[in-house]
Order: sequence, then C-alpha cells, then structure tokens
Amino acid sequence: MSTDALLSVANLTASVDEKTILHNVNLNVRAGETHVLMGPNGAGKSTMGHVIMGDPVYTVNEGTITFDGADITELSCDKRSRAGLFLSFQAPVEIPGVPLSSFLRATIAGRPGLEMKGKEFRRRVKELAAQLDMDTAYLNRELGVGFSGGEKKKVEMLQLLLLQPKLAILDETDSGLDVDALSVVSRGMDAYRASCDGSLVIITHNTRILEHLTVDRVHVMVGGRIVREDDASLIPWIDEHGFESFEREAAGTADER
Amino acid sequence: MAKQRTEVADIDRSLYDFRYDEEGFERLDAGLTPEIVTEISQRKDEPQWMLDFRLKSLEIYNRMPNPTWGPSIAGLDMDHIVTYVKPNTDQKADWDSVPDDIKNTFERLGIPEAERSYLAGVGAQYDSELVYHNMQDTASKMGIVYSGIEEALHEPKWEAIIREKFMTLIPPTDHKFAALHGAVWSGGSFVYVPKGVKLDFPLQSYFRLNAAGAGQFEHTLIIVEDDADLHFIEGCSAPKYNVANLHAGAVELFVGKRAHLRYSTIENWSKNMYNLNTKRARCDEEGEIEWISGSFGSHVGYLYPMSVLAGRKSKSSFTGITFAGAGQNLDTGCKVVLGAPETTATVETKGISKGGGIQTFRSSIVATPAAEGSAATVSCQSLMLDDESRSDTIPSMDIRAKNVDIGHEATIGRIGDDKIFYLMSRGISEEEARTMIVNGFANPVSKELPLEYAVEMNNLIKLEMEGAIG
Amino acid sequence: MDALTIKHASAMPAPTWSWLRMNDTKLEIPCDLERVRAVTVEADEALTETHASFEGAVAKLQERLDAERTGLEDTRACVRAAAREAEDLNDLDTPALSAYQLRATRDELANDVAAAFETGIGIDARSYLNFLAGGTVVLATEEGADEAAVVRVAGTAGGAAAASVDVVAAPNSTLDLTVSLDGNGEGSDAAGLIGSELRVFAGPRSHVNVCVYVTADAGFTALDDSGYVLDEGARVTVRHTVLGGAHTATGLAADLRGDTARMDVDTRYLACGEDTRDFNYIIRHHGRKTVSNMDANGVLTGTSKKVLRGTIDLIHGCKGSEGSERETVLLANQGVDNKTVPTILCDEDDVAGNHGATIGHVRPEQLFYLGCRGLSQEAAEALFVTAKLEDAALSAPDEQIRANVVRLGSALVDDFKDFEEELA
Repeated sequence: MSTDALLSVANLTASVDEKTILHNVNLNVRAGETHVLMGPNGAGKSTMGHVIMGDPVYTVNEGTITFDGADITELSCDKRSRAGLFLSFQAPVEIPGVPLSSFLRATIAGRPGLEMKGKEFRRRVKELAAQLDMDTAYLNRELGVGFSGGEKKKVEMLQLLLLQPKLAILDETDSGLDVDALSVVSRGMDAYRASCDGSLVIITHNTRILEHLTVDRVHVMVGGRIVREDDASLIPWIDEHGFESFEREAAGTADER
Repeated sequence: MAKQRTEVADIDRSLYDFRYDEEGFERLDAGLTPEIVTEISQRKDEPQWMLDFRLKSLEIYNRMPNPTWGPSIAGLDMDHIVTYVKPNTDQKADWDSVPDDIKNTFERLGIPEAERSYLAGVGAQYDSELVYHNMQDTASKMGIVYSGIEEALHEPKWEAIIREKFMTLIPPTDHKFAALHGAVWSGGSFVYVPKGVKLDFPLQSYFRLNAAGAGQFEHTLIIVEDDADLHFIEGCSAPKYNVANLHAGAVELFVGKRAHLRYSTIENWSKNMYNLNTKRARCDEEGEIEWISGSFGSHVGYLYPMSVLAGRKSKSSFTGITFAGAGQNLDTGCKVVLGAPETTATVETKGISKGGGIQTFRSSIVATPAAEGSAATVSCQSLMLDDESRSDTIPSMDIRAKNVDIGHEATIGRIGDDKIFYLMSRGISEEEARTMIVNGFANPVSKELPLEYAVEMNNLIKLEMEGAIG
Repeated sequence: MDALTIKHASAMPAPTWSWLRMNDTKLEIPCDLERVRAVTVEADEALTETHASFEGAVAKLQERLDAERTGLEDTRACVRAAAREAEDLNDLDTPALSAYQLRATRDELANDVAAAFETGIGIDARSYLNFLAGGTVVLATEEGADEAAVVRVAGTAGGAAAASVDVVAAPNSTLDLTVSLDGNGEGSDAAGLIGSELRVFAGPRSHVNVCVYVTADAGFTALDDSGYVLDEGARVTVRHTVLGGAHTATGLAADLRGDTARMDVDTRYLACGEDTRDFNYIIRHHGRKTVSNMDANGVLTGTSKKVLRGTIDLIHGCKGSEGSERETVLLANQGVDNKTVPTILCDEDDVAGNHGATIGHVRPEQLFYLGCRGLSQEAAEALFVTAKLEDAALSAPDEQIRANVVRLGSALVDDFKDFEEELA
C-alpha cells in the first residue's frame, strides 16, 4: 500500500521541548483519497498536521515522511509547500503591512503552471473570491488584520483553490465553526476536489463537516498514537459513542506497559 | 463631589539620618589639584602606575564638560568638596576593636545582625577608608578573596590582576565623573571567585558617607571566573548635611564563561547627596549578570548600570525601582550592549514620584552587527502619586543586527481611583490602600531581594507613603 | 559652493546621551541646486481667497487662554525651582531641574501659544523651506465647510523646490489636504531637493486630515516639516508615507491646546540601499482630555539607516489626557541601522501614557505560515518590502500619486511590473 501512497508517514515520533507528542505514527494517503483524522482534544492531531508540514517548533525524533516519492522529512516548510503540500491553519496569523493581494501573488510566484500576469492574477483571485462569497475589498486589506473568524477561513480556502496542492491538510480542530464558516469550508473542499482531484486529510472532531464528503479512511488518534483505522462507517459510530472507548483502551494499554 | 487627594508626607529620615562627630579624623584641604591627587596616592603607598593613572584621569577630568542632558549639578562646587577623609582607625579584623562611634552607626543600620544571620562577610566603608572587614571561614576556604581593594593592591598576585582590569570597563574618558573617580578613588571592595566556585550565600558591603563636604569614591572590582557563582550585595545610607555631598563610585564586574553574578543594591542616600555612580559588567560566553537596583534618597541621582554582553549566549537582567520624593531629581535606568550572537537581555523597571519629586527612566539598548539572534525586552512602568510630581521616560534603542527581537513597553499613570475604591469598600483605609498598591507595584523588585533587604525597602516605601489624608 | 548644513535639526525636546547620536540630526542640503518653482496647488477658490491667517487664529486662541488665567499662586516644586536664581542646598525640598525640565516649566507658565509654536524639523529648516517656496499659500475653510486640497511638489534632478502652506480650519469645518513630495530623477541619480513647510491651525471641532506621500527617486533629499495647533475638540489625522529619497527628514510638532483635541499620526516607511530616514514627532498635550496616537510601521533593507524620535509630552493641567505611540520595524538585511527613542514626558498624574516598540525580523509564527505557502525566509522578507510599496499604491489618495508610487516601485523592486499591470 505504501508503495503507491502520495503521502506516507512511517513510524513518526515527534516532540516539543523534549516532550514527546507523537509516538510511532503511521499514515498512508493515496492520490485522490479523502482521509479523516479524528480524536479527542489534545490527542496530537494538530501536531500531526504541523509536523507533516515541517513546523520548526517540533523535532522529529524518529521516522520518515515521504511525499510524492521523495523523502521530505528534512525539508523546510516552504519547500514542502512547493512540493504540493498544503496546511490550512486553524488560526491563521495576522501580518500587518502586507495586503492580502501582495501575499497571494508571492505565494504563486515561481510555481510552474501557477504563476500568472497581473491582470490574469487579479481575475483569477476575483473569480475564486466570488466562488467563496468573499468581498473582493479584502484583497486590498492587510492580511488577517481585523478579519473575522469566517473571513479568515475564506482566505484559507481561497489559498487552497489558488495553489491547487496535491494534498491538503485541513486543520479544523477545536474550531467551534459556526454554520457560515462550516459552509465555507465545505464549499472550499468541494471546489478543491472538483478542480484538481487532490487528496485531503481533514483533522476534526466534529463530524458535521464530513456530511457531504466521500471519506475513504478514518484514523483515530489518542495520546499521540493512531489507535484505530477503518472505513467511513466508523464516523456514525463515533458520532454515537464518542472517543471514550478508544481512550479507555489506550489507558489500559498504557497501564500494561 | 470634589475629588479627595491624599497628601503623602515626606519620609521621616531621622531613622536613617544620623551622624557622629568627626573628631580625630584627618582632612585634606578643599579643592582638587595634582598635588592632592599625588598626596592621596602617596598616603596609600600605591604603585607608580596607579599614581600615573590618577594624574592622567585628573587631566581628563579638567578637560571634560559636565553632562548637559540630565538634572542640574550646579549645586556642586568641586572646589569646596573635600574629597578624601581618612577615618581614625586602621582596618580591623574583628568587631570588638572597631571604634564605638562608627560601631554605633553600623548598629543602627543593623549590619552586625545581618551578619549574624547568614551573611558571608562585611566590608563596610566608613568615609573613604575600609574600616571593618570580615569574612566567614567558609568563603575563604573555598578560595574566594574578599578584601579591600587597596589592601589587594599591595599583594603582588592581585596587583597584577587589578592593573589588568582596573577602569577598563569604565575608562576615565567615559564621562566627567568617571575621570574624577579615576583621579581620587579611595577604598572599596575586591572580590575574586576562582573557577567553578559557587558561593551559596551573599557577600555584603555597606557604604557610609559621614563627613560634611566629603565625597566618596569607592571602587568595587569583582571577578567571577568561569563556571563560578556569586551574589554580592551593596547597600548605602547616608546622614544629612547642608553642604553638597558627592558620591562618584565605580563598580566593575567581570563575569566569566558560564559564570553567574547577581549584584543587588539598595541606595538610600540623604537628600543633599549628588549620586553619580557608575556600574558596569562584562559577560563572557554564557555568562550571566543580574542587577537588582533600588534607588531612594539623594538630591540628584545619575545611575545606569550597564551590561556589556561580549560572549555568545551571555545574559543580562535588570530589575530596578526608583522612588523620587520631595526635592529629588533621580535620573536612573540602565544600558545594555548586545555585542555577540544569541545574547539576551531583560529590563524591568518601576518608577514612583511624589511631592514634587522628579523621576526619569533613561535607557539604551544597543545591538551591534555581531548580535545576530539576540533578544531584548524592556518594560518600564511609572506611577505618579500626585499632580505636582514629574515622571519622564526616555528609552533608546540602536539596533544594527539582523534576526534580533527587541521589544519595548512603557506606561505612565497614577493609581486608579477604582482600585482605591475597591480596597476601601472592603474596609481598608485610603492610606493603607495606597501603600498596599505602591508596595504591590514595587513587588517585582522586592521579591528579588534577600528578606532583610526586602523588609528594609518595604519600610522605606511605607515611610514615604505615611501621612495625613485630606 | 559648499553644501548648506542645517545643524541640530529634528531635535528631541528632552535629549539623552549624546554618544548615541540620536538627539538630533544634521541636514546636508546638496550644493549647486537651482531654486525652482515646481509647486501646484489644487484647491477651490473658496479655500484660497481668504483673509484668515495662522497668526490671527493663534492670537484669537491666546485671548481666550489669557482670559481664563486664574492668577492663583503656583507653589509647585518645579515652579519654585524655575524661579530661583541659583541652586540652594539649604532648600533641599526644591529639586534640581534638567535644562529641559527648566525650559518646560517656563514655557508652561508663559502659556504663550505663538512663542511655544514649533515645527518638527525646527526653525532653521522652516526658514530655508519658506525661502525656497517664496510665498505661503493660505488654505482657510469657512465655518462648517467641507473642503479638499492637493499640493504637489514635483522635484527634478538639479533643482530645489518647496511648498509653504498655512491651513486655518474654521470651527466645525473639514479639510482633506494631500501633499505629494515627488522627485523624478528621470533615471539619473543626480541630486535634487523637495520639501514642504506646513502650519495648521485646527479650529474648534474642525477635522483636518493630512496625507503626505514622499515618492522621491534615489538622488533626492526630502524635507517634510510641519507644526499643528489644535483648538477645542479639533481632530487631526496625519498619514505620512515615506517610500523613497536618499535622505528624508519628516518632522511634526503638535500643540493640543484645546480640551478634547485629538491627534492621530500613522507613519509608513520604506528605506532601501543607503537611504536615511529621520522622523521627529513631538506631541504636546496642554488641553484636558486630549488624545494622541502615533503609529509607525516600517521596513529597512540594504544598508539604510533610520531614526524615529517620538515624544509625548503630558503637560501639567492636561488632566484626563492619553498619549500612546507604537512602532513596528522589520530589519530585512544585515547592515541596517535602526534607532528609536519613544519618549514620554509627564508632569501630570491624571493621565495615561504608553508606548511600545517591536524591532526585528519576521516573527517565527508568521515565518512558518508564509513558509507553508511556499515562501522562504528571503522571499518572506522580500514580500514585506514589496508589500510596503503595494500597500502605499493601493491606498494612494489619487491616481497621480499612485503613478508616482508605481514608478518608484518599479525602480526598487524587480517584479513590480506584475502589480503595475494588475492595477491598470
């Protein structure tokens, strides 16, 4: 299975400030697949997304991350992005002084097939903004500054559609997304799948976001370990029973050690 | 309803302002000439290089202008300041043989008690000479040298080291009063902590200024070798005279690789004092200097301890409080040079002004091009206790390195009426409430001090805050 | 001919250690420049055909202030200190003042608006700029009117040109003033000078919005000097955008004399190559419940140098006032020199003053976010430089100024053409 995987995380152990957060995690995602990473708060799901993307805050102690046939474990995050990985942030940062349009232009600069001339760029961005029901006035505003939660989410989805990555990790943990923001994310995911048939890894503990999606694989993470993998049928089960049984099981295994 | 204002009375200094007769003390003629400087040196039986250094400093002193940016020092008339008063006692090793009047002064300041409790040693200066010096056996057994600097100058081993270091951190060309210090310095402490030696109790020294018209120019030289650790406490208190008193001491601290030095001071000079003290530390790789500084008293104060972070990953922290009451103009702060990669500095200061007093926070953070990866944060809060006092904040930053993080925050304001109201609504008197809030404001400094010093500082604040409400 | 030098320009009111070389600046006026008239003023006749004058407005305010004097004896410590002839150590309850504190006390007691009037760069630069301008344009609004004006200084290599403008805003009126300081070197680096001298009297409850764009090419020196007096309830908003020019000096002094007056200053700057940027802001709070905000955001690259002196002066009697200043600087290259002195002077207890500065590189969380979108650290820093120009172009007050920004941007940044095309 791992041989034809687009993203392959093998035996990954990662830590921050000498505290291990991920323990020997494995994850394989093939091209075009949609995976869901679920688990209770603090299970390490967001960390997983950040480590795959190369957040320098975390140290990889063991294991490898392979993407599109290349070992990217040591690559800096900008190179991973240019290799076709994308991480949407739960809480995107604010960057005062940088208009959104300047930022977007910089993200596509030098990407084969994506770079475009001024007019074409503006047209493309406006088109995407319309698709996401986003006011184009935001393009001239400073990135993230004074944006509401829903607006920030739209900006993340806009980038997803503009960059057309091979694989996108959508970090929707702890989101408490309202109905509007939820629909923005759903619309973004649909448009992304429709436009480039990219792979998706959705990090969430809220199953509502998955309602209209065809999910190929579900991974449950507890205490920094993947404790269960199954097909989409696991989702309604989790809806009903929550993560408690996984947590009990994990605690039991931990006790035995 | 008219707003009620708290009148905070002036400190009752009688507790600290006392002096004894100067009978039996030798005095030099007033005025400053090469002859006086030579006489000082000869009396001390100094090596020739030190006399040459003094004469060169005197030349620089005569050439240099007075500072123009700070509080006026026009009240100082150097021609009439007797710069040197020699006490009538030679250095004594045990407490019993110290003259009674000097002993009484120290006792009122609580030095013997402090020593009894746990302090390592006392090198207290009475006027310009070191009169009492003691050191616990443990410290000397660990190889630590703690002596008068003049005494150390007469030991060939230490003379070489003093010659190598003396006034290299604070060259006489630094400013006019550094030059003056170089010319007429007298007394002070010499501390040498050998490699790897960690002293787990503080060394302490008390300075006293007694004679009318006398300046005090003590020199403190501390060397903490690689991997060593020291806490040094310097305390000051002076009696009151209506003649300009000048204090222009110098403190030079050398912190070795991975060494640590904490230097704590509560300066509490009488209200006629011109305190122009210069303090500087240099840290080698991963060395750390911590300054704890409380400034009370003085008519005019110029005090800006400086850290030169010369070694990679060296650190400086400065925690200071300044309380300017009636008639005082205290210009205090600190200076930091980030001069090597990955150095870090923190500055946290509190300023309080009341009764027409003036308090200025002045600082400089300089990051040289070598300081890549360094970080500094400055936080400065000032509290105004009435509407006739003044509080100025003049920080400066000169950053020439890339990949640095420099943060600066400052606020000025008064005690919020809502806070007073809240405390009073819980049955606390207005005076108590104000004292409580000011003490809380000062807490970041007092919590860094050894207990008896923290108590002394809280008492000082309480005295400053006492008075009629109306 | 030797270069003309203006010493002690843009001096901060309360100096600090001179070895820091921040207290003031020395302005070198390039030699052999021809004095040229290159100023256009676009304004309604209603604005320019007026009998109002800056001096007249100040005198009227002074009459009111004089009538309000109480004549009560002032026994404060600083007043006693300023009154005595020499320091007396028998009077230890009177503090020794610094030269600045002495002058501040005397100015406060005099309560003379005209005598206290100052501009940010200072009197010598003011005289020089007025000489260059030849005459002063007075823009005066009628009570309740809503007006706009544009002043353009179009400098050329080899020339020195300056505008001198007085603004008198009548009660309840609004004036939007745009000042464009542009120097087009036509591709050459030859020296040139552009400048403007601005005095603003913002009458009771008036709104004055001033927007200055400095878009000079590499050979130019630009001097932007201004002084403001705010009467009761006046509200002044100033935007300084300094993008180009080898040497620029921006100076602003404001006297918040009337109660509840408010001043907001927003400064955005970029310095490249060997540019020098000098900013001197002095905001003095006299009136009660006055408010000031200074906000500066800049990027330094190449081996450029910048000094920002920001002084908030909370003068005795300005009860209930608030002043704040904030600065964010990105140092995008090793070799830049960034100097900042955010000063608060405070002689009044019922006030709030605060300042903050953040100096350094792109923050780690920003860098990671930008990295996740494919930007390396170098690309991220380049983005901040480009963004400064693009932001200025997007928010330019008119097309002509936008074109100036684009011209400058294309000279400074390689791929600015894309943006230019996008705007078109």
